[in-house]
Amino acid sequence: MSKTSIQKKKKYKPQQQKSAYLFILPSMLILTVFIFIPLFASLVISLLDMNIFMKDISFVGLLNFVRAFQDSRVHNATLNTFYFAVLEVPLQVGIALLLSIYVAKDNKYTRALRSVYYLPFVCSMTAVGIVWSMLLDPNLGMLPYLLRCIGIESISFLKDPNLAMPTIIVVSAWKGFGYTLTLITAAVLNVPSSLYEAAEMDGANTWQKFIHITIPGIWPTVSFCIVTTTISALQMFDQAYVMTQGGPLNRTETLVQYIYDRGFQTAPYDLGYASAISVYLFAIIAVITFILRRFILEKGE
Amino acid sequence: MKSAMNKYRKSIGKFLGVFLTMCVVIIVLVPIIWLFVSSFKTDSDVISYPPHFFPQEWTLAQYKYVASSIPIFSMTKTTVIFAGGVTIISVMFDSMAGYAFARMNFKGSKLLFSIILLTMMVPFQIIMTPLYIEVYKLKLLDTYLGLILPRATSAFGIYMMKSFFQELPKSIEESGRIDGMSEFRIFRSLMLPLCKPALVSLAIFHFMNNWNDLLYPLMLTSSSDKRTLSAGLAVLVGNKVIKYGPTLAATMISLAPLLILYIFCQRYFVEGIATAGVKE
Repeated sequence: MSKTSIQKKKKYKPQQQKSAYLFILPSMLILTVFIFIPLFASLVISLLDMNIFMKDISFVGLLNFVRAFQDSRVHNATLNTFYFAVLEVPLQVGIALLLSIYVAKDNKYTRALRSVYYLPFVCSMTAVGIVWSMLLDPNLGMLPYLLRCIGIESISFLKDPNLAMPTIIVVSAWKGFGYTLTLITAAVLNVPSSLYEAAEMDGANTWQKFIHITIPGIWPTVSFCIVTTTISALQMFDQAYVMTQGGPLNRTETLVQYIYDRGFQTAPYDLGYASAISVYLFAIIAVITFILRRFILEKGE
Repeated sequence: MKSAMNKYRKSIGKFLGVFLTMCVVIIVLVPIIWLFVSSFKTDSDVISYPPHFFPQEWTLAQYKYVASSIPIFSMTKTTVIFAGGVTIISVMFDSMAGYAFARMNFKGSKLLFSIILLTMMVPFQIIMTPLYIEVYKLKLLDTYLGLILPRATSAFGIYMMKSFFQELPKSIEESGRIDGMSEFRIFRSLMLPLCKPALVSLAIFHFMNNWNDLLYPLMLTSSSDKRTLSAGLAVLVGNKVIKYGPTLAATMISLAPLLILYIFCQRYFVEGIATAGVKE
């Protein structure tokens, strides 16, 4: 009896099957043409000597990769990309976690706070970059002026090779922490209140409740935030493009920026070489995502 | 004694909380307010030293200058067509695919869905170069269609709509089938109206992302009037062809539509991403 009902379930109705394929057809078509094919093409192009004019294309094997590994700007961009990710992700997630202690509650006051904190995330990185570059401008900016008032002389945040990247990191965290906070808040509100009540009966204080109940309860969301923020940090482009153009002295040039520069900005628009670096970046992202997932999931359990 | 101590600590904690959250409010709001008020400054006021926060004299000069000297109208038009077009088409295709994966039995549905999820992990940079070549070969570089088409569906949207459709009761489509409705009509007139909140959240998600995107429109457009606001502004500022005052006004113009939308549809901005994050 139960066997026949299972078989019945497994049997596909031909009419419904046909319409199901029609339902997914547009999406599958677009994903195939604009994601799957480019994904494989990218691997092929990285083995070619090819520029944007697409003449005299030749197969060069792994030469582009060999060139990339010897290119000091690739080394520099790799270091900068890591520098950015290693500091920006903890800063953004850390600020969000700290604030969540105070604002991850459901009342009017905290809701108002959260909607203010989310505001920078709604703004484009272009706009955010423009505003902060002006506020930080060493000659006209508000912040250097205020610092001068309290006796700190001429800091040129974005033009100082040692300060440019930290400044970009802080601005990025400014833009992104509200997003992380929103996700964490949703998770905190999902933790069953019975757990807190039980802990209170055992005499736990606020801090203990945060460490022993909130953190484990929201860990899946926090790890999701860490992984996704890291992936986008490794793809950093907008911030540096708007605020520093990779300068000063290439100190803020990231891998994506270098890819864009070699492929689309600087002659001879070497698409093969740009593709090779993007395959290299993809490998980095894949490995780091894999490591993070294992490490964080194990820690969570 | 102990309770007094506790009370004391609690009020200190509360004070710290208010202090901290208020500091962050100031840090978040000051740059945005500064941008807004500074876009009404005169040229000399913008570059005056020491700087003033508020304009000495309020003027629309920067906005007038922007309107006459940079193609701000066509940039806005491109942005609206690009972000709006992507939003409408993608919400449609995403919900159709999400619906099929959630409510219909068909061969290979599990495999296809996991392949779609995999595309979420492909960073844009790796497909960037071939995508450019494709759009070039299709003769769609620097056109609206070329901007919209590659974004006309998204794995995230399909995933989000699937998880939403899964939660609806089974009886709905059965009643439709008894009435002899076609599958598409069941989807269109019975199921779709039930997920308006999800559709609005997804629409806002797409609209915001595409409105703000930089690298993608930068790469696929070349003429200044086909540039989106965010790409066009970045190029103008990068090439230093635009002065401080007009930059502020143009930046304000590029932000205003989203900020207004945010004020009125706040709930939907937050809900879409919140469901996505918690579900994982």
